[in-house]
Amino acid sequence: MICVSSYSPSSPNAIMADSAKGNIGSDAPELRGVKVGFIPLTDCASVIIASVMKFDEKYGIKIIPVKQPSWSAVRDKIVCGELHAAHMLYGMVYGVHLGIGGLQKDMAVLMTINNNGQGISLARHLEDKGVCDGSALARLIKAQPGEYTFAHTYPTGTHAMWLYYWLAHYGINPLSDISTITVPPTQMAANARVASMDGFCVGEPWNARGILKKTSFSVASSQDIWPDHPEKVLGCSAEFVRQYPNTARALVMAMLDAAKYIDSRANRAKVAEIISDKSYVDAPVDVIAGRFLGSYQDGLGKEWHDPNHIKFFNDGKVPFPYLSDGMWFLTQFKRWGLLKEDPDYLEIAHQINQIELYKQAASGINVPVPDNEMRRSVLMGDAPWDGSDPKQYAASFKVRA
Amino acid sequence: MKRILIIDDLVDRAAWLKASLELAEYDVVGVLAWELVNEYSIQAASADVIIVDANAPGRDTLEQISLMSTTLEKPVVVLGGQKDSHSIQVAMRAGVSAYVAHTIQGEDLSGIIQVAAARFAEHKRLRDELKEARNQLVERKLVDQAKAILMVDHGYSEADAYKRMRSMAMSRSKRMAEIADAIILAKELSGA
Repeated sequence: MICVSSYSPSSPNAIMADSAKGNIGSDAPELRGVKVGFIPLTDCASVIIASVMKFDEKYGIKIIPVKQPSWSAVRDKIVCGELHAAHMLYGMVYGVHLGIGGLQKDMAVLMTINNNGQGISLARHLEDKGVCDGSALARLIKAQPGEYTFAHTYPTGTHAMWLYYWLAHYGINPLSDISTITVPPTQMAANARVASMDGFCVGEPWNARGILKKTSFSVASSQDIWPDHPEKVLGCSAEFVRQYPNTARALVMAMLDAAKYIDSRANRAKVAEIISDKSYVDAPVDVIAGRFLGSYQDGLGKEWHDPNHIKFFNDGKVPFPYLSDGMWFLTQFKRWGLLKEDPDYLEIAHQINQIELYKQAASGINVPVPDNEMRRSVLMGDAPWDGSDPKQYAASFKVRA
Repeated sequence: MKRILIIDDLVDRAAWLKASLELAEYDVVGVLAWELVNEYSIQAASADVIIVDANAPGRDTLEQISLMSTTLEKPVVVLGGQKDSHSIQVAMRAGVSAYVAHTIQGEDLSGIIQVAAARFAEHKRLRDELKEARNQLVERKLVDQAKAILMVDHGYSEADAYKRMRSMAMSRSKRMAEIADAIILAKELSGA
């Protein structure tokens, strides 16, 4: 792959920066082509829709969606400038900024892409042992600690945090009572079949796929754990925002248009059709459409409509990069020992979440901006989280590293 | 830096790479399929450098294995893409694994493996130093806190409080931070 930094004017491949000249002092995007990475998951939809429905052209840019094989590849390419921005796991952006797991680069969250739409599944062989919910799972694991293996998608990612949070709610310590492994989303359902793992947390449509393939069943959706939780973000390096603020703003505007379009219920079936394509999510449209439209089944006979299914816009409340959302991931990094000391929670969230740039973009196209940069959330079983005392919150959990 | 582990599902490509590396006098200690990648297989290979394909989703699995254990953290050379020495340099400067073309020949690859390993060692050294500096800062904070407890509760001067902690650390062959930690814990236990 080419790993050319398009930030450097001397770079031989800086063709895309040509339009920058002559635009100094104007609001016009410095770049025309904007390479945006995505992983094949339902929640990459706004990247695809912004491009396919040409919302990007309204703002003078051309989004080039680039499918990525792994989160590690996304990170590498953001860090070295091969991608301008990407559909990224919320926690992962914070992890790279803090240098957890090696590579460090100052990062930026331009906006939140979606709330909700992930889930926790158990492998079918647990059903044979009479385990169909968290409490029964806890009894099984306590009887045989260390015998069971659960998968997530990236060590600092959202799925690791939802999985840990959910297990801990039932008294299971994810660091000492079980083994955890990282498995690519598309391979979750298949791995559950070969019985090398007992459960997993992943984004849709891969939980739905497991039910259809009869390899796994659902025990919780991520919105059961935290209704309207932050999930994927539009991430980039801090350097990109500094160098190309107008491009970043235009990108947010196009993504906001797409988010609004996707959240209009009348458009959802069409969106599911578009993203199911081989070059995007590459999964049957039926597998995507069910949960995308809020129609859930758990694979054990229960069916329901979830009003809190995946959201992209929700009147401007989804995309706003709340500081409290970012700080929550830091509290969990501290809880699980990925951070040894309490960081300066608020300062780091301020560094990463580009509130000002977001407000400029949103107000430019009449997207409502919340009054407060923090929000109050009520997660399953524990004290509410409003960002006011992160150190105390991080220390408040009984089950921890 | 002679022991190489190749992880690739394409048997022919892996065999070609293995032959090419062996011509350049590398010791290919194993060729793994992605489904066999786990903590144990990586440990068993005890490679100096791991070579993987850029398009393998399993790279995230490998990353977690190295995050979990400092001893399993290895330089990774990622194959796939065009031959472009500028891009390799940019990637390696950033501390990203070296990205190189699949078609690269043994001799060129040899140079890249050496540079990738050197850059990796350099990054790891910087990171360890940073960690060490952070630990020292944390330890100093603990010592200050314990000193303050001794001063307030026992009326020692700062110098005396420090001297007492120091002599206890020496007589018990413990680190100052451990003594400080014990003082702070005892204080918490007494309910203050």
